[in-house]
Amino acid sequence: MDAPGTPLVVLDHVNKHYGDLHVLNDINLTIAKGEVVVVIGPSGSGKSTLCRAINRLETIDDGTISIDGQPLPSEGAALAKLRANVGMVFQSFNLFAHKTILQNVTLGPIAVSKKSKAEADGRAMELLERVGVANQAKKMPAQLSGGQQQRVAIARALAMQPSVMLFDEPTSALDPEMINEVLDVMVGLAKEGMTMIVVTHEMGFARRAADRVVFMADGRIVEDTTPAEFFDHPKSERAKDFLSKILTH
Amino acid sequence: MKLRKILIGTAAAAVAVALTACGAPGSATSGGSTSTSAAGAGPYDLAVAESPTFEAGTTMAKLAEAGTMKIGTKFDQPLFGLRGLDGKPVGFDAAIGSLVASKLGIPFDKIEWTETVSANREPFLQSGQVDAVIATYTINDKRKQVVDFAGPYFVAGQSILVLEGNTEITKPEDLAGKAVCSVEGSTPASNIVEKYGAVLQPTDVYSKCLDPLKNGQVVAMTTDNVILSGFVDQNPGVFKLVGDTFTQEPYGIGLTKDDTAMRTFVNETLQAAYDDGTWARLFEQTAGTVIPVPTPPTIDQY
Amino acid sequence: MVIFDNLPLYLEAFLQTLALLLLTIVLALPLGAVIAAMRISPIGSLRATATVYTEILRNTPLVLVFIFCFVVLPILGVILPFMFSAVLALTLYTAPFFAEAIRSGINGVPVGQAEAARSIGMTFGQTVTLVVLPQAIRSVIPPIINVMIALTKNTSIAGGFFIFELFNSGRRLVNENGDQVILVLVGVAAFYLLITIPLGQLADFLERRVVIRR
Repeated sequence: MDAPGTPLVVLDHVNKHYGDLHVLNDINLTIAKGEVVVVIGPSGSGKSTLCRAINRLETIDDGTISIDGQPLPSEGAALAKLRANVGMVFQSFNLFAHKTILQNVTLGPIAVSKKSKAEADGRAMELLERVGVANQAKKMPAQLSGGQQQRVAIARALAMQPSVMLFDEPTSALDPEMINEVLDVMVGLAKEGMTMIVVTHEMGFARRAADRVVFMADGRIVEDTTPAEFFDHPKSERAKDFLSKILTH
Repeated sequence: MKLRKILIGTAAAAVAVALTACGAPGSATSGGSTSTSAAGAGPYDLAVAESPTFEAGTTMAKLAEAGTMKIGTKFDQPLFGLRGLDGKPVGFDAAIGSLVASKLGIPFDKIEWTETVSANREPFLQSGQVDAVIATYTINDKRKQVVDFAGPYFVAGQSILVLEGNTEITKPEDLAGKAVCSVEGSTPASNIVEKYGAVLQPTDVYSKCLDPLKNGQVVAMTTDNVILSGFVDQNPGVFKLVGDTFTQEPYGIGLTKDDTAMRTFVNETLQAAYDDGTWARLFEQTAGTVIPVPTPPTIDQY
Repeated sequence: MVIFDNLPLYLEAFLQTLALLLLTIVLALPLGAVIAAMRISPIGSLRATATVYTEILRNTPLVLVFIFCFVVLPILGVILPFMFSAVLALTLYTAPFFAEAIRSGINGVPVGQAEAARSIGMTFGQTVTLVVLPQAIRSVIPPIINVMIALTKNTSIAGGFFIFELFNSGRRLVNENGDQVILVLVGVAAFYLLITIPLGQLADFLERRVVIRR
């Protein structure tokens, strides 16, 4: 184990285009071990693309992304191995629809990490317990509420014992009354020292749990500072404008 | 459902044919056609009888009146019925069709040719879709139960084709248990399996047998000698015929069942052509390019 | 009646047709799955190869594929037993149809399922076999059975290429039984139905069994 503060995820001059749209514009970002970084910004700012590029669900045009000192492999077994080390939670949960809740959590450990079923089951039940859905283990995903499904998705990612977790708008698809049950799990994770990159609109979460806030607009990182500094003394006009729009409600 | 409709349709057609046939019993005498002899130089431009007269109500009278007739033949049988680029078949079967039509006052280009294969010869005659079938059509008793035959106008015989260098196969008995190619649904194919115990490698046209024979995937192909002769002729030094023919395949002209007047007319037409040399000339100009002209067979007046 | 009198012959031909069908399914279905996987794979050259293969074979008349296997291959020095060549031709021709049926089912599985699988470290192969295909199965069954039914009828092409299958039994019996042509053909049709009707029922059964609760 490296000490907290060691660089874990490093993006160096990363660029990506969608046709004419420069969706990631010379992104430089370093996330240290144990850090919780919240990425915010208006829609279309490139924050989701940034998140997905870190485990190469999106390719990049140039620049480098490295995790734990290793540059992202382009394809194949090496990339799969790296992804196992990077947990990902999606906006739309994406639980495996044909598997039970328990199987959703054990599939990775059994198929990828080659754990025995008994070991995987035991560990999965612990994780489900921790996110509060252990009593749903035998059900199918469609039988659970959105909040429950997202918590299972977090457990599924944790089952791979990743060194960093990516959250791509994890609460955006949830009904308001379910948002907190998911955020609570995330805050708990943050407190335990998990390295996290969270794309979200939940400013409360950013204030409560983030070490840093990265504000993106038009594919660029506009501000990169502490939550207190960002929310109370935004420097750029874009950030001020953005904050005024979301905080007036 | 569709199948049932076809069955009903066919049955109805068969009944209709039977009824019309009953309408003309005993009218055995053929119409007195004006005497003509084949005057054209080729096989398909025979002199056409001018306004021949037939007893009213007979098939001949109807066809002569219509000025056209429908004949079923093969479109893929070299020397007998092979469709040319103009859509008309050429070969000995086509020439015999031309002969019959000419006596009804119908020129060659007024004949409507229909392709007949083994699955549709009898149904086409029974339902009246063709007036005659001239298609290397072997006369046999089962077929006689549903159609009439005039002729025979030629007697073929089954033979065996092997590679030039083959000395093991000398007679059909040598083919027992061996791979032999032929066209499925032909009488020689059934014969070589049932009488001689060969293992048939079936196909749909004879020419497809040649490659496997050259490649050694089959030891022989078998069918009527006339067809095999054509292949020997086309591939000099590659194939040879083995031994004598070992069956008799009398080719007849298929006609509607119990239309005795028509059958007698066609038989008389054939006999006249045997007697005046027209038959021999037609053969010489078609299948005779490969096979020696035989003596005409005896007409079967059953 | 001609059908019952010739039952052994029909049966011999029926078994050949069945053998052609089953051997082709056993070979073409996995090949089709591989082609489908290639067409969605992240590797461009695999995608291109699979696409070209699919488009060529799917748009070529089956008879030409047979001629390739029975005439062109021997010229190139590859002389195979007839049954082998027939199954080869049917497999080459049918696999792209299976592939397209499978691919359409795969396309019906939300892309997030594959992303989730990849994000927990599954390889492409694991993603396809453990997550995507099991969910695609249900929507894939009806088109796959349709391909099998078409294949059943396509086996008759082998009748022109030295295999004594059902269609050939019909041709032989028609020639020998000029007085009962229609009945002979009814017999042939009945034996084809003996395969295709149960296939349709199998499709219904499987569709009901492999229900995914979403």
